[in-house]
Amino acid sequence: MLKKLMLPLLVLVLTIPMIAGCGDSGAIKIGLEGPMTGDYAYEGQGFEKAVSMLVEQTNEAGGLLGREIELIVEDDAGDPTQAALVAQRLVDAGVVAVIGAYNSTATEPASEIYNDAGILHVTPSSTATRLTEKGFERFFRVCFLDDRQGLFAATFADEVLGVQNLGILHDNSTYAQGLAEHTRRYAEEAGINVAFYDAINPDDQDFTPILTNIGGAGLDAIYFTGYHAQGGLLLKQAKELGLDLTWMMGNASNNPELVQIAGLENAVGTYITTEPLPKDVDYPEARKFVSDFEAEYGEPPASVWWMMSAEAFNVIRYAIEQTDSTDSEVLADFLHNEAKDINGITGPILGWDEKGDRLGTIHLAYIIDENGDFVVYPEQP
Amino acid sequence: MQFIQQLINGITIGAFYSLVALGYTMVYGVLKLINFAHGDLFMWGAYLGLTGLNVAVALLSGPSAWALIPVIIVVMLTVALAGVLVERVAYRPLRSAGRLAPVISALGVAFILQSLARNIYGASWKTYPPGFTVSGGVTLTAGVRVSTMQIIVLVISFLLMGGLYLFVQRTRIGTAMRAVSLDHDVSRLMGIDVNRIIAIVFLIGPGLGGVAGMIVGLYYGSFDFTLGWVFGLKAFIAAILGGIGNIPGAMLGGMILGITETLGAGYLSPQWKDVMAYLILIVILIFRPNGLLGERVAEKV
Repeated sequence: MLKKLMLPLLVLVLTIPMIAGCGDSGAIKIGLEGPMTGDYAYEGQGFEKAVSMLVEQTNEAGGLLGREIELIVEDDAGDPTQAALVAQRLVDAGVVAVIGAYNSTATEPASEIYNDAGILHVTPSSTATRLTEKGFERFFRVCFLDDRQGLFAATFADEVLGVQNLGILHDNSTYAQGLAEHTRRYAEEAGINVAFYDAINPDDQDFTPILTNIGGAGLDAIYFTGYHAQGGLLLKQAKELGLDLTWMMGNASNNPELVQIAGLENAVGTYITTEPLPKDVDYPEARKFVSDFEAEYGEPPASVWWMMSAEAFNVIRYAIEQTDSTDSEVLADFLHNEAKDINGITGPILGWDEKGDRLGTIHLAYIIDENGDFVVYPEQP
Repeated sequence: MQFIQQLINGITIGAFYSLVALGYTMVYGVLKLINFAHGDLFMWGAYLGLTGLNVAVALLSGPSAWALIPVIIVVMLTVALAGVLVERVAYRPLRSAGRLAPVISALGVAFILQSLARNIYGASWKTYPPGFTVSGGVTLTAGVRVSTMQIIVLVISFLLMGGLYLFVQRTRIGTAMRAVSLDHDVSRLMGIDVNRIIAIVFLIGPGLGGVAGMIVGLYYGSFDFTLGWVFGLKAFIAAILGGIGNIPGAMLGGMILGITETLGAGYLSPQWKDVMAYLILIVILIFRPNGLLGERVAEKV
């Protein structure tokens, strides 16, 4: 008698949790992986502020597909080993999708684990090219690769400044050299003559030898892709040599210290190509996000990557809404093939290519004004 | 015309190398010790100058060129005393310990000085307060320009180097220094207080280095804590090139290194300038192992 009852009982016991798990009543779990401690804690904590605010807003408005969203935050400290550990924890917790990580070094091992588990993974800020070279079908970025900045810089030089002879100078770091090469390629495609292409040694203090050459090369503009300390010295020493050059610099020079090192009078009029500062992202969705953020935390979002993390959540929410599904395969398929022209927090999202890289660009050109402030240049390509 | 401009650039860089190289060469002359801490004493000159000028700006509520003189003197004295202290603590106890131990001790002092600067002032780039440098310059012909700061740097450097040369050649203490550089024991027998002479060398060398550090700070406007390592290494090589232990040699070596580096960077690429400069160094050392002016030391010995 007891034996006859055992089987249906067992079936019943085993199915209850399954029904509960599949039912529409449970919360939709979304993971956020980022550096809450360590060197990049500033960015990771900004991620948490931005995303948890949006989760709260969504839940107050009735949730997603009639279900609550539960945000699970894990700290990878920016460290690849820790990233693999917390990625596994998020998978075990049964998340539908993951936002993260901040730095490419941490995103890489985590992306392997999410890929094996078949979970939708959106990184707000990891720009290393190789991340999307692995054929992971459920991995996406809302940030842009460095080659987008190269395209932007070349287009800006061509269309806005009307440059015919462009010089490009990098500092032999992987990042700066990459940006310089992308810019050269796009500039040549646009019909600009790249009349000067060379690198400085960032350990040097004196750049007058190469500046003397640059001065004699007949350039309309010179684009420096390295970091702000050398950028400042270049501006200062060029003026001391009596050179009258039009300087463009990449986003590694997007730092107020550039003006200090160069001296205000030498820095004025320098163009900077960069992702926009949060205050300058001029879209209704961006303005709403910034003002909500200020109301919630008493200060505007400090970093563009915080906006990118909000964007990552936004994209996941949009995909779930549009497909009426929480199945990662359906969501990834939607993002690859159907998602187009979404009103993003960081600007219109044109869509994603087959690798998962975001199409288009949001870069802006800034100019250093006579107060030493970085202001958006009125003319953009 | 570009060639003349590059020569001017090279001489300016060379002047800095020469000033720092003097410190290496003087210490080597009397102790046969390569004082690796010298580059970092030089770097401390730049940091102390920064603090001094910031204090001056705060006290006088604005930059004033007159503040430069007391600040330079204070920096020179402080770095000079630090040099004497380094000698007393890290080198003198090891003087009879062979040649390797003092060199390692010197490297240790270099790392300590560098870490101290990083921990006290932070790892970010530091900027001198504006208003202490003279802008402007002279355009000689089209494409050839000397800035006022370059002229000031060159004048100060040559005055310091010339003064030091006369001091060593013409004064009693200078004569004693040259005697000590030949033989400690015989000098002592002749009634020279060798320890006192060595202390004076450690007063003058780092003192000049400290001034050089502050001039670098004024000239370039900004620097970080690795300044001493980069300049120190180049200046050390300049000292060897000119013949270590020889004061005019340090000046010559600094100039040659500065000019070849600049021409390498200007006519090849900054990526190749070190290859150029050190290729020339190797060639010179193959033909003159004691450096360009090194033979005079050999003659004396």
